[in-house]
Amino acid sequence: MSDLLAAAQEEVKPDMTPMIDCVFLMIIFFICIEFKVLEAKLPAYLPKDKGSQATKVEPQEQLSLGVYEDSRGTQRFPNGGGPGLVNSQTQRPYRFALQGHTIKWMVGPTLVTNSDDLLNQLKRIYNNRDTWQDDKEKPGQKKPMPVVIEPHPGTYYDDAAKTADLVKAAGFGEINFGGGLGQAPGKK
Amino acid sequence: MTDLKKEAQQTQEMDMTPMIDCVFLLMIFFVLIIDLSQTNLEDLILPKAQYQQADDSPPENRPVINLLQTGAVYYKGKMQYDPAVHGSDYSGILRMLKLIKQTGNVKTKTENLGGRDVELVDDPILLRADKWTEWHFVGEVMKQCSQPEAAFWKVELAMSEKDKEEALLKGKN
Repeated sequence: MSDLLAAAQEEVKPDMTPMIDCVFLMIIFFICIEFKVLEAKLPAYLPKDKGSQATKVEPQEQLSLGVYEDSRGTQRFPNGGGPGLVNSQTQRPYRFALQGHTIKWMVGPTLVTNSDDLLNQLKRIYNNRDTWQDDKEKPGQKKPMPVVIEPHPGTYYDDAAKTADLVKAAGFGEINFGGGLGQAPGKK
Repeated sequence: MTDLKKEAQQTQEMDMTPMIDCVFLLMIFFVLIIDLSQTNLEDLILPKAQYQQADDSPPENRPVINLLQTGAVYYKGKMQYDPAVHGSDYSGILRMLKLIKQTGNVKTKTENLGGRDVELVDDPILLRADKWTEWHFVGEVMKQCSQPEAAFWKVELAMSEKDKEEALLKGKN
């Protein structure tokens, strides 16, 4: 009788170990996934014919969007270290964050000092169908003019990328990058 | 009676060991796959994008060029150009691009531009720069991309859907 009772007790006892193993593994897996940075991309096009022989090309109207430094900002090193120091663990220089860095834009001849105004200005140009031009790939159709973003010395990748982000938000499809690169930083 | 009991116990027992083994193997496989895909990516903080498209299914052979804050260019974990060492000699970047074109298994097409045939790379190239990299260096890489020897004309600028820096600075305040 006692054997039967013991057997009945054994039957109802589920083995939790494999389930706990699986749960732990899944937790580790999802933690690893969380560390993966979600990335986005901005497609842009470079000139195909650089360095080719001079040929007559039709001038194309483009919207020039200059990006200028307004305030340089101050460097902060959130992970410690300092300018020019190398992190011995990563073998890469310590990275800094710029605080108080601001930029301004020239949309054609118009000066714009904040991103909301820039977006409005770009939307206004986009919505003006007189600025649209013939689409060579689709005869009989029109397309918005290409935008040339011209980041000037003292501007950063963040400034150009955010500008391009606003250009896309306004509806423009074709983004090119231009302008002189100036002297290498540190050679002023 | 005892035989019957033993038999009943045997039929109810399920051996979980192979399942756990398989789960372990799958885990190791996925962890390795994730690590391999990240070897091209330097630890950078990218600018936050609000309106850009997610980089969900990138082309298999897309080259990824990383630019650190210092302007140093890395490809597959190896430094190709460092402004502190090479200054205004950007030949290392062009050499790297030519090598990618030759050996990177990228799609090319020949177009007649200005009276001569140029072999253009038709696959995009991804530029990943830290958000506080001076534009000068990013522009310089783009300039080298558009040289006829390299002829990468489709460029993708990497951005992030999250601003990792905000959290980093908040944590330090």
